[in-house]
Amino acid sequence: MMAKAQITEGIKDFLIQIGELSHFAGRFLREAPKRPFEFNELLRQCYSVGNRSLTLVGITGFIIGLVLTLQTRPTLIEFGAVSWMPNMVGISIVREIGPVVIALICAGRVASGIGAELGSMRVTEQIDAMEVSGTNPFKYLVVTRIAATTLMVPILVILGDVLALFGSYLVEHFKGDVSFQLFFNKIFSSLDFGDLIPATVKSFFFGFAIGLVGCFKGYNCKKGTVGVGMAANTAVVMASMLIFILDFIAVFVSDIFYEL
Amino acid sequence: MDRTTKEKMRLGIFVLVGTVFLVIAAYLIGNNQDMFSRTFTISTVFNNVNGLRLGNNVRFSGINVGIVKSIEMENDSIIRVKMAIEEKMRKHITTDAVASIGSDGLVGNMIVNIIPGRMSGERVQEGNQIASYSRIGAEDMLGTLNVTNQNAALLTADLLQVTQALTQGKGTLGRLLNDTLMAGDLQKMILNLKQASGRANKTIADLNAFLEKVKFEESVAGVLLSDTIAAERVRSVIAHLESSSIHIDSLTRNLNTTIGEIRHGKGAVTYLLKDTTLVRRLDSTMLHIQEGTARFNENMEALKHSFLTRRYFRKLEKQARVEEEN
Repeated sequence: MMAKAQITEGIKDFLIQIGELSHFAGRFLREAPKRPFEFNELLRQCYSVGNRSLTLVGITGFIIGLVLTLQTRPTLIEFGAVSWMPNMVGISIVREIGPVVIALICAGRVASGIGAELGSMRVTEQIDAMEVSGTNPFKYLVVTRIAATTLMVPILVILGDVLALFGSYLVEHFKGDVSFQLFFNKIFSSLDFGDLIPATVKSFFFGFAIGLVGCFKGYNCKKGTVGVGMAANTAVVMASMLIFILDFIAVFVSDIFYEL
Repeated sequence: MDRTTKEKMRLGIFVLVGTVFLVIAAYLIGNNQDMFSRTFTISTVFNNVNGLRLGNNVRFSGINVGIVKSIEMENDSIIRVKMAIEEKMRKHITTDAVASIGSDGLVGNMIVNIIPGRMSGERVQEGNQIASYSRIGAEDMLGTLNVTNQNAALLTADLLQVTQALTQGKGTLGRLLNDTLMAGDLQKMILNLKQASGRANKTIADLNAFLEKVKFEESVAGVLLSDTIAAERVRSVIAHLESSSIHIDSLTRNLNTTIGEIRHGKGAVTYLLKDTTLVRRLDSTMLHIQEGTARFNENMEALKHSFLTRRYFRKLEKQARVEEEN
């Protein structure tokens, strides 16, 4: 009986969360086109999300490319298809691995940061103070952050992809004696706009989801300092989950447009 | 430069680099699909396109020259494939070129191969249709391969037998390979041959030298070979010789018949030749004649001394003496 009540409570909570998140997203969409634009804050947030994550994303991307190639090589050699390595690596990184892994890393780094930052601002009543002082805190804090993640994550994904492909190239070059030109020729001969465009579009959505969830959790933080930690934690979990859900949807949508 | 300006600059670089990479990727992919080069369209019809898809590459003599632009079913058995070909390749493709569907590697994408014509046709124009030939499907190919494999199996079995026979030294070839004595003999033979040919060479060289020394013009051989008058004479001599030999032949034949007649005939000569009794008789007759003549001589001497005939004999002596003195 207790368990049933708990499950019902859980489902209710989940639905409330989704409802509130949707409401939050709707509010963002309403507020975003309104003047005044907090341009400087947007740039500051872009720098914080983009440039500051670059090292992490770069190293991760590079290692992913390296490891993917190293791990796949023996199998491809077994099938005598090692010359297909650039095609395989190119498609898998550009289409799926790059966007998802880099979005997850950004979720870990950025969503938690935003959640904690806004959460602490909420519990220290800075947001309330802003409201009192006449500044729109939602516009200043939330819109800029969500816009920054939405714009920066695709760029991070592209740079991460490039470094991953470069890592893959290094392995192929030193182990398989493949020239730079041949490697990238093969990658781009196997790639299609049906690979690049959906991947880029979905990374905008990933960025949006990361910013949205981080801001949502931080902006609606309760329960004092404990809530700040919780906000940061749940922001990462929720953002990551949302990324996978969005990825799943993206596959279906791009399937309609590009007949994969 | 304050902190925010630096941050903005870095952000600018970050965004710029990311965008540049995106644009490069888009350009390379687009370039690969001939989106930025001027193209013209040609078409061909197939009965079966073997899974060809939009955007598959079109190759002309192995070079990527375009992509498949559309694949349409015209009726239940004809599929029209339109291809966008790079404008710069127009001058190389003639109307007698032939299109076929192939695959890029064993498991690769399908491609349209355009095989050049004999360059006797005109250059293709926008919307032209070129001929096609249906490539044999993978199943047909595997069927052929199966037959080839069976043949290969038979061949290898035969080959195995042959090599086994060879290694075991059976047959001429096997002996050649394995028999060391034979090899030695062969070697000797070759050596002899070599020596013989050396000698023959030397002889020929000597002969050559000799022939060079001979003054053909003045020698008997030269006369024989080059003098036409001498040849005429020789010819007449030979003709005479021939007629003489005919005469001799007839003479010999006559002689033969004569001898034959003598041998087998019944003439006196035959009798003389063959009858030994007659010879003996003749012999004894001769003896008797000799005896007779001796006695006759005695009688004659007696006559000389007889008184009756003495005068006659003295007269004869006197006459002889008178003739000598004259």
